This record gives sequence, structure tokens and C-alpha cells, in this order.
Amino acid sequence: MEKSLFDKYGGFASVSRMVLELYERLLEDDDVGPFFDDVDLPRVIDHQTKFVSSLMGGPASFTDDYIQRVHSDMNIDDHHFDRLKEIIGEVLNDFSVEAADIAAIAGAFEARRSLLTGQTNVN
Amino acid sequence: MSIEAINEQLLRAIGVGVALVDIEKLSFQFRNDTFNEWFGDHDQSIGLVDLFPDMAELDLKAEMATSRRFTTETSFKLRRRTMTVAMEFNSTNDAAGNIAVLVCQNITRIKELESMIDSYSMMVERNTHEIKREKEQVEKLLLNMMPRAAYEEYKTFGVVSPRLFDPVSVLALDFIGFDDVLSAHEPGVILSELNDIYSAFDRIGAQFGCQRIRTNGDSYVAVSGVPDPNGEHASAVANSAVRFVRYIEQRNASHPIKWQPRIGVAAGSVIGSVVGNQNYIYDVFGPTVSNALAFRTVAEPMSVVTNTEFVDLTGDAFESSALSSDNHVSLRQSTNTPQ
Repeated sequence: MEKSLFDKYGGFASVSRMVLELYERLLEDDDVGPFFDDVDLPRVIDHQTKFVSSLMGGPASFTDDYIQRVHSDMNIDDHHFDRLKEIIGEVLNDFSVEAADIAAIAGAFEARRSLLTGQTNVN
Repeated sequence: MSIEAINEQLLRAIGVGVALVDIEKLSFQFRNDTFNEWFGDHDQSIGLVDLFPDMAELDLKAEMATSRRFTTETSFKLRRRTMTVAMEFNSTNDAAGNIAVLVCQNITRIKELESMIDSYSMMVERNTHEIKREKEQVEKLLLNMMPRAAYEEYKTFGVVSPRLFDPVSVLALDFIGFDDVLSAHEPGVILSELNDIYSAFDRIGAQFGCQRIRTNGDSYVAVSGVPDPNGEHASAVANSAVRFVRYIEQRNASHPIKWQPRIGVAAGSVIGSVVGNQNYIYDVFGPTVSNALAFRTVAEPMSVVTNTEFVDLTGDAFESSALSSDNHVSLRQSTNTPQ
């Protein structure tokens, strides 16, 4: 079986650091940060842990239906989505994730754009 | 710069929140930069209770009076981030005894890590649970394909070595005119019929200590004595055989498709093993299997054929009548045996 990116980059031990870094940058960001304004710390962390873990093929996976349902009333726009994609790329790059792998992760994320923004995926 | 000035400078710049608190008035005498960064700029009118409304001030006063020390935690939002600070009050040795040093350690990262570990361990636990359930399903499936002893061997060593089982009895059954039945009905109908019939055979076999080894189209092969020895292997197979026929007779009476089974049974030894390394199948081989298959070919519809050696092994419960071909006998349950 092919090794997942989650395992390739050191499993939870190192992915946890990426999660915390992402968490900090998201909250600092004025575009996507406000989505987490009124959310409890454990829920935000839980969200980020599962999010990164599922993007990298770790022990979390979500059906498209589920992703769509939990984001449905959030009014996420394309520019929010783009900004988040950008931040993820920056974090992964800072943690020395290979460019090809960052592209793969960004691709997996992009594939779900329409689930979050509620718009048809044109890619 | 004097030593005092340097000390104050250090105290202000340190990454730990420090304040001097008047325990009687619950007011601040001093707050360093870090403290102000977290809790807002110093303002004489803002007291401890204003800043930390959730703090149990009575507990604080009581604890300070008795053990001169009090610890608690507080959470607040700094921009969007939930900060958690561990607070420790310690009495000073000033004359009035009212002033306490409040030291605040930032434990936000610890709280965030705790949350993440909770989240991750829940994911892992759920996955472990799912894997366990899948493993059980695979095990159940493999146990359908091979005896438990062979499965255990396969699990431990990755292979199942061929094993001789002696003595055992083999039962081979097929249906006369199967091809005609097949062409006259939908494949789905045949499949559902066979599923029904083979499941019934499995149940009857299990009742008498007889285990199905394989089915291939209309061929059903079962054994007794594999892998666990069975002293009554011949009776087990003979009992199963006559009941298979009886079951089909009863079934035919109420079903449109009239199945015509014929059965060969034989006793002797077999070799049991898993065949193939991609598509595993547990199978038995040897002259006993060949005999059972050969007897089957000469059996009339709804009858069981074997040889006299087998009949001798079944005791009084069964009787036989010679057939025209050499050494073949037709086996049936003795008429004086209670059903």
C-alpha cells in the first residue's frame, strides 16, 4: 500500500505541529479568522486536526455530504477559500513539505471547493 | 542604572505576567508589561474582581489567610485566540501581610495540545474500532472458506501445510439434469435455489458432524473427520446423505423446480490444504474423494451409493443393497431404525 502523506511526514508527531501553526495563522488572518470568532477552542482545534489529517490521508476522512452539511450556513466565498488554500500552502512550505506533495494536498482541497462555497466546481 | 531599576526592567519585560495585589482591597499595586498585554492597560479603578469576575474571591482570601498561597486558572480571548493562564498568588513578607505576588503563566499551548490530543485520540479510537470490526468480518469470511485449525495456521505462518486426515468420510452430491434446469430458468433463480439448498445441507451436516468443503456449480462436497477427528465419521456422512435426500424430497413437493440429487459417499483418508496463493480455497484430495465422486456418478436420482466397506463402518443404522456394477451398493437408513 502506498504510504500516505500523513505517514511520510512523520505521522501525528509532526502533523500536530503543522496543525497548531495553521490554527494560529487562521485565527490571525482577517479574512478567514472571523469564521472562528465564536467557536470554542476545543472545537476549532478538533476541526483543524481532522481537516489536516484528512487532507494528508491520516486517520480521518469525511464524506462530501458531511463536509457540505457542516459548512452550508457559513457563507464561504471563493476568496475565503483561496485565502485558506494559500495559508495551507504557506504552512506546508514552512514545514518543508515537498512542492509536489503541497500540490497534491492543494488539489485534494480544491476538489472540494464547491462543497464549501456552494458554487459549481469549474476546475 | 541602579540594581532596582534593572530589576524592574526585567520584571516588566519577562514573558510571565506579574502583578502585586492588595488582598484586602483586591486592587492592583503593580502590573508588568506582559500582564497588561493580556488583560489590558493598568487602570487604578479596575480591581481584581473586575478583571476576573469568575474568580472565587472568598476562596482566595481564605486560602491566603491559611496557606498564604492560592492557585487558579483563567481563560480569555486575545484577538480570536483563546488564551489560558495559570495564576498563582503568593503572600509577601510585608508588614501588613496584605500584598501578594500574582504570577501568571501562559498555558495556552498546553491547552491547545490537550485539545488536539483529545481530538486525535478519538479519531484513532474510532478507526481502531472500525479496523477491529473489519478484521472480524474477514475472519468470519475466511472461516467460511477453511477450517479454524487451518485458519489459525495460516494466520501464524502465512501458509497452510498439507495435512493427512485419517480416517474420514467424504460425501459428494450433484444434481441429475442440472444443465437442463440451468437452461430452463434464470441464473438468478438457480442461484437463489442453490443458496437455499446448500444452506440447508450445511445446517443438516453441522447437526451430524459433517462440514462442507466446497461447492462448484451443482457439486457439493462435504467431509466428516476434517480437521477434528470424528470416530463416527461414516455415520455422520451417511446420516447427512439420507437427510439431504429427504430434505430435497420434501422441498420438491412444494417447489416448482424438482431437484434430483445423487450422492456418493466413501471412507478413507484425505489430504487437506489451502490451494493457491491469490485465491485461497481450502480443499481435500485423495482416493477417498475420488471414490465418493465415482460412486456419485453411478447413483440413481435421490439415492446414495457407496461400497460395502463404508456400510460396515456405519453399524446397524444403515442397510444396503448391491447394485449391478462391481462393489457398489445403495445405502439407505434401516427400516427398523427410529427416524
